[in-house]
Amino acid sequence: MILRFLAVVAAALALAGPAAACAHPRTSLAYLEGQVMCPTCHTTLDQSDSAAAQQIESFISQKIAVCWTAQRIESKLVANYGQGILAAPSHKGFDLLAWWLPIAGVLGGALVLAVGVWRWSRRREPEDSDGPPGSGLDDETERRLDEVLARFD
Amino acid sequence: MTGRLKVTAQLLALAGVAGLLALLVWKLAHQQHAPPVGSVAPAFTLRRLDGTGKVSLASYRGKPVVLNFWASWCQPCKGEAAVLEHDWTRYRSRGVEFVGVDYHDLAPDARRFVSAHTLTFPMLEDGSGRVTGSYGISQVPETYVLNRQGRIVAHLAGPITDPNFAGEFRSALAKAVA
Repeated sequence: MILRFLAVVAAALALAGPAAACAHPRTSLAYLEGQVMCPTCHTTLDQSDSAAAQQIESFISQKIAVCWTAQRIESKLVANYGQGILAAPSHKGFDLLAWWLPIAGVLGGALVLAVGVWRWSRRREPEDSDGPPGSGLDDETERRLDEVLARFD
Repeated sequence: MTGRLKVTAQLLALAGVAGLLALLVWKLAHQQHAPPVGSVAPAFTLRRLDGTGKVSLASYRGKPVVLNFWASWCQPCKGEAAVLEHDWTRYRSRGVEFVGVDYHDLAPDARRFVSAHTLTFPMLEDGSGRVTGSYGISQVPETYVLNRQGRIVAHLAGPITDPNFAGEFRSALAKAVA
């Protein structure tokens, strides 16, 4: 009985060991494969099976195994390959434009659309009003038309 | 007011299209191609792979240079390494300099590659690919042979062990030394 209990404890410790080795949640190769570019084929690692991509995947796997965070792995890759190794631009400096310009573009487009719709609806309002529709004739023509019609009465 | 608004909107739309066109032209103008034979090799300064400072191509002016682009993950580079080292020991007495440029590679792996193949000529690292881009490198290995004036005598887009390039490499070396 005691032996069985010790075996269970030993197994639990053996299984818990690798998980407990990291002080933070372990990142995954699958996650980083979508965040890191293959430098020779200009796609993310998950889209490439080139030798250069495999080398980086191997590096990432090694670093994950020794508990490096995703951020630390990315920093190391940036130090080696430059900023272009990351699939997304950073959130600082000039790179911020890449994040804000599309948002500004969408907002600007929505604003132009809203103004256009508002003006279009205002232009149509007189036709939709309750009064009789105008004849589109000037006063003089209308007076002469009335005279001609009066002759038929 | 309405007219002015319309004109402003049209001008903004035109400016947007002009901006996109300008970007396209800039991109086309800055596409990197291999420099032609006879032209001056693009200048560069790169870190040594072993971390002992930087080296500029200009420092080799007056000497023929064999500029070899390689990477540790590149299979043909492994076969080429021994030939390069052999030629380096053979031609250095005639004043020829061999320079290796490591392309899109992890520095520790590249250092292991140099050590495993006992390469003794200077090795530089271009992890970002900025310099290799200016030479139009799209695959490795590739080799440029430069004359004493820094002009390109030959560009071999493949391993020098390839039968198609071996003769060209030797004749380019002879031409560069002359």
